[in-house]
Amino acid sequence: MRIYESLFIVKPDTPDEELDQRLEQVRTNLTAGGATVDKLEKWGKRRLAYKIGKYREGAYVLIQFTAGPETVKEFERRLRVSDIILKYITVRIDETLKRLEKRKKDRDKRAARRAISAPSSPAPAPPSLAQQMTEAPAMPGLPKEG
Amino acid sequence: MPESKGRPGSAGQRPTGGDKAVATQKKQYFRRKKVCRFCVEKVDDINYKDVKMLHAFVAERGKIVPRRISGVCAPHQRRLTDAIKKARNIALLPFAASI
Repeated sequence: MRIYESLFIVKPDTPDEELDQRLEQVRTNLTAGGATVDKLEKWGKRRLAYKIGKYREGAYVLIQFTAGPETVKEFERRLRVSDIILKYITVRIDETLKRLEKRKKDRDKRAARRAISAPSSPAPAPPSLAQQMTEAPAMPGLPKEG
Repeated sequence: MPESKGRPGSAGQRPTGGDKAVATQKKQYFRRKKVCRFCVEKVDDINYKDVKMLHAFVAERGKIVPRRISGVCAPHQRRLTDAIKKARNIALLPFAASI
């Protein structure tokens, strides 16, 4: 099973009730195919960056689900056939999520290590800086003496 | 070199794409060294849905800004172009904007 994310644009003149109904249909179709819908987000109407057909704006819907490749194929076919959907993009995100998790873990680990080593390092640092301050004026004096 | 000393934030980081700027030291004017925004801000994910962020790396006409201008490092530029191209496909960004 893989995690996918799909973003699609619905025609802006679709009534809200119909949109909800269609989305419910999409959800049931996915679960029937053995997938689990993790997230369904409606972004609302947005201006499109370019004209699609005759539409200048569209309602964006984001759906995240866990499914096998066959289910995705069927899901995409349904989106293509649907009369209210202008455009869609499906992205496989499980590997990205994994990478992000790993990076976050590495970062946390590094932060923890720094937190352990931090209390010891600032302690010697201030004296050395103070030493530099006191030694610095003495330095030019040395050649004069010599 | 004063530049390398002046940036304590990226001391432990790999050199970013901006090191070419150092080569112009002989010239009269001083050019500030560019740093990768994603490295500095520690951005993990360059997502195609983040239109606001992507807009900063797209020129007025809708072209992707080259990294010699934006200063983004190579690994991040690769992810960035991927994200921009995905965003174009779903009409979040234009392929070619009219001005």
